[in-house]
Amino acid sequence: MRLKAWQVAGLMALWVLAFASAQEGVDPREEAKRQKQLLLETSGILPTELVVEQGKELFQRKGPSGKTMAECDFGLGKGVLEGAAARLPRYFLDTGRVEDLDSRILTCMTRVQGYKREQIRRSEVVAVAFYIASKSTGKKIQVRLLFPQERELYALGEKLFYARSGARDVGCATCHVTYVGKRAGVLPYADVLGKDQSWTHWPAYRYSNDQIWTMQDRIRACYGNIAHPAPDLYSLPILALEVFLAYRNNGAVVEEWPAFVR
Amino acid sequence: MKKAAFALLLLGLLALALAQRYFGDQELEQIKTAGKAYAEVFINQRPDQALCSLHKNRLPADLLPKFLEEQRAQIKYPQSGKLMGDWRKGGAIFNNLQRANCFSCHYGSPVHLGGDVGPSLEKYGLKRGQSEAIQRYTYEVIYNAWAYFPCTVMYRFGAQGLLTPEEIADVVAYLLDPESDFNTKPAVGSR
Ligand code: HEC
Ligand code: HEC
Repeated sequence: MRLKAWQVAGLMALWVLAFASAQEGVDPREEAKRQKQLLLETSGILPTELVVEQGKELFQRKGPSGKTMAECDFGLGKGVLEGAAARLPRYFLDTGRVEDLDSRILTCMTRVQGYKREQIRRSEVVAVAFYIASKSTGKKIQVRLLFPQERELYALGEKLFYARSGARDVGCATCHVTYVGKRAGVLPYADVLGKDQSWTHWPAYRYSNDQIWTMQDRIRACYGNIAHPAPDLYSLPILALEVFLAYRNNGAVVEEWPAFVR
Repeated sequence: MKKAAFALLLLGLLALALAQRYFGDQELEQIKTAGKAYAEVFINQRPDQALCSLHKNRLPADLLPKFLEEQRAQIKYPQSGKLMGDWRKGGAIFNNLQRANCFSCHYGSPVHLGGDVGPSLEKYGLKRGQSEAIQRYTYEVIYNAWAYFPCTVMYRFGAQGLLTPEEIADVVAYLLDPESDFNTKPAVGSR
């Protein structure tokens, strides 16, 4: 299925209009399920499916080196995608670094496909992330702390999560530990380390603002919530928080990747 | 002589800062990969913030007396010495999301439905009265909540410069003055 950019944009604009009338005050997770069902019935396809399709095309596109992304190892061997995303982030021997889905896609596009870093658009990385993640639906999160680099990032992530800073003395734990279940307007603060298994909710399509986000974008937005300058994409602090969150959600089963959230 | 004392004081402060640092040098280097603006917030983390972070907001008992004393020492009072100001001005601060945003955490406002993060303050002034002790307590909690509730989530409005001492006195009046809307009108959400 090939959809032109303007067609996608048009469809999405329609959906946003449809959602604008959605009522407030209901459980956002139930509401997301309802909206998703509504969408399926009216247009027969979900935005998540569209993006996965785009990601698949990008995955199969040949880069300057003549190779497709099937030549890349996402952790389980060359071209193996089944369950790969559920085991990220992890340490990779070829780069000597811990990488999450986003950064591993960058590595693939630069080192294997021969793109220059500045040629790579963020939207392409996200679309490919949607595609690769879709191959882990139903899988268990299995993130390990085997390598010292993984343990070091976990420790940094935990510290960042509990760090209180800025004029309001806030940090991630302020909302996601101390305030769990309390509401900010319509949104209850998720128990991201525990029962909400938030790691399995991203990457996702957010119907409330019609955006496609990976966990990197989710974390950056939360820094926005606390009036803290956002960390750069692909930076170590984001990766560290991801290792921490993913490890704490080990064993959780991915209900559906990419997810469909408020 | 004075210089020596000053140098000693500086050294002392430095030692304190070093002892209460949360992120090590290597970690700060890693944090810098996320950009300058991001990193600066952590580089400038205050020693008391570091302490709360380090202990995940539950300070060990042996650290408490010194911590409370340091928080208390940060409290400044209005020039006039009056801890109760103008309740109308205080209401505008209490009920403004961009200013103090008190209602997001506390129930009791006649203007906005209050949140449940902090205790209910419904009819606070009628319940507590206006004694000097209550005025002082209320002023000090708002100025620096950590002087009473170490590492609590309530912002340290005075200590962090979010409100001036005069503005805090206005908010105290809003809560305590028996004439204030806060005490005469029903809280949003009350039956
Ligand atoms: C001021 C409150 C606040 C702070 C502080 C905060 N967040 Fe959030 N966070 C939210 C809200 C509100 C949502 C839900 C938004 C939504 O549903 O779209 C959320 C959602 C999330 C989610 C997704 C939850 C899910 O189940 O899908 C993750 C993960 C997350 N935050 C991580 C973090 C991290 C990491 C930090 C620290 C950098 C942080 N948050 C700081 C308010 C906060
Ligand atoms: C981020 C949440 C938050 C905000 C904002 C906040 N508070 Fe609080 N407040 C609390 C919490 C939580 C407590 C209880 C302290 C504890 O046990 O940790 C508290 C305690 C208090 C108390 C003492 C209550 C008692 O029964 O002794 C007063 C008075 C108070 N707050 C007033 C205010 C005022 C006035 C403002 C705005 C200028 C404000 N608060 C803003 C969370 C908040």
